[in-house]
Amino acid sequence: MRRRAGTVLATAALLLLSVYVLFPFGWMLVTALKTEQEALRIPSTWWPHQPTLDAFVVMWTRKNYALYFFNSTVISLSTAVLSSAVGALAAYGFSRFPLRAGTFLMGFILTTQMLPGVLLVGPYFRMLSALGLYDTRTGLVIAFLTICLPFATWMMKGFIDSVPRELDEAARVDGCGWLGIFLRVVLPLSLPGLVATTLFAFLLAWGDLLWVSTLTHSESMVTVTLAIARTVQEFYVNWPELMAGALIGGLPSIVLYLALQRWFVQGLTAGAVKG
Amino acid sequence: MHGVSRAATGWIGPRRALRLREPAVGYLFVAPAVVLLIAVLVYPALTTLRLSVTLPGGQLGVQHYGQLLSDPLFWQVVRQTAAFVVASVSAHLLLGLGAALAVAGTVPARGLFRVVALLPWVVPDVVAGIVWKWILNPLYGVLNDLLMAGRLVDQPLEWLTHPSLAPLSLILANVWRGFPFVMVILLAGLQSIPQDLYEAASLDGAGSWARFRFVTLPGLRKVLVVALALDTIWEVRRFGLVQAMTGGGPGTLTEVLSTQVFKQYFQFYRFEYASAMAVAMTVLLLAVSLPYVRMIMQEE
Repeated sequence: MRRRAGTVLATAALLLLSVYVLFPFGWMLVTALKTEQEALRIPSTWWPHQPTLDAFVVMWTRKNYALYFFNSTVISLSTAVLSSAVGALAAYGFSRFPLRAGTFLMGFILTTQMLPGVLLVGPYFRMLSALGLYDTRTGLVIAFLTICLPFATWMMKGFIDSVPRELDEAARVDGCGWLGIFLRVVLPLSLPGLVATTLFAFLLAWGDLLWVSTLTHSESMVTVTLAIARTVQEFYVNWPELMAGALIGGLPSIVLYLALQRWFVQGLTAGAVKG
Repeated sequence: MHGVSRAATGWIGPRRALRLREPAVGYLFVAPAVVLLIAVLVYPALTTLRLSVTLPGGQLGVQHYGQLLSDPLFWQVVRQTAAFVVASVSAHLLLGLGAALAVAGTVPARGLFRVVALLPWVVPDVVAGIVWKWILNPLYGVLNDLLMAGRLVDQPLEWLTHPSLAPLSLILANVWRGFPFVMVILLAGLQSIPQDLYEAASLDGAGSWARFRFVTLPGLRKVLVVALALDTIWEVRRFGLVQAMTGGGPGTLTEVLSTQVFKQYFQFYRFEYASAMAVAMTVLLLAVSLPYVRMIMQEE
């Protein structure tokens, strides 16, 4: 009996929590489907009377969101691939070789993970200008390595540590070199971890606002997050359009997460739980 | 793992001979990451540090820090950041723990909830900021509609411009954004607690509170520390949500350290002062995360 009561209570609590979690997403969509006139009605209508996709069309075509979306995609994908590849190499080195400076270097990488972006953004303007990379996508990818590479290394090390060393030995007996062991044995066996790490790096890069606000100035380099943040600061805000923009900006993260969520959740939690 | 193989091979003798050239190869694997981090991260960090002690004439001195420490705005922003972080992180932990305990039980559709609940954490924090800004809009916002319809207030609340409501609104949005991560981590922690511990405790006559207190909480200790540390580090650095939702206002009442350094640097062009503030923020952040770093490194 008491157990039943507990389940009822937990169900009710989760129901409430689901409303808290999901309502903002629903409201974004409902608002984006309204005309501006209807969005400004007091009190709000719960459902669009004349649902329209105009806001999405305007954002995607007239307001350049197609370009912003392209910029965000290219930058985030490059960052994700680069940081998980370099991170995986380093993780393999830390995991499999008795490095004298190993602990020191791991500590170094962990510490770099703590440094706030605002400690670095100032000099970046001058650094990238000197290299001719200010206001380029490449410049942003370099900057995003500061967020993504440290944690990618740590996350990958957790996964590579869990691949049994006996398999390395077996591959070596079969004539594999160090790189061969890494590419043919260790990496395939830590694939879920690699997927989780790459996705996490992608989400971090995609969601950034600080760096894109400081390292770009031309319209052709704007990313989705920057576009959304700029719009909300304008004097006059068209809310259905802004909500459509927010949905466009959130969609890749949502879709990729839902597609890969099994590996992603495993990957996020593996490091925290073991040991 | 390392310990086991060392013990098995009696580590100094045969293993050393076998792997004489290993370290060099190992450093080759590690080098790209370390070199990149030095170039893209350590170098700019040191540049900021140098800038923070560079005086107008070009000589070195700590005057910017003196100026910083005697600036009431700096201390106000430190207090606001601390309040924002403490409130956000404690709410994340409480709500995350509650949700994890509920989901770990025999609730219908708990698998679905677990997947869906992480969505707010997955989307950019700018998106979180503006959707809450819209919900909390004083004139057209749906929250005021609901409160008025339920006769809980008789006039619309100024969620984002009222001096005492604006910080709360930021936290409300940030709790929405951040608790799911803690829930997912704690849920994995709960599932790693062996079931027979609970059975043994029940046999010893432990009630549900005692089981929670003496089995669940100790079993969650490590994941709680990890969640607390990561969440604190992330929330101290939070930028996009604040920037999109309030921009630091009304006045400077919701400024946090990230947004304030950003403004000092890129709006007021006080490069040296902004650098000093960024260094101070980093010192605070490192001090807060030091126990975590030590715990992780000891495990290594």
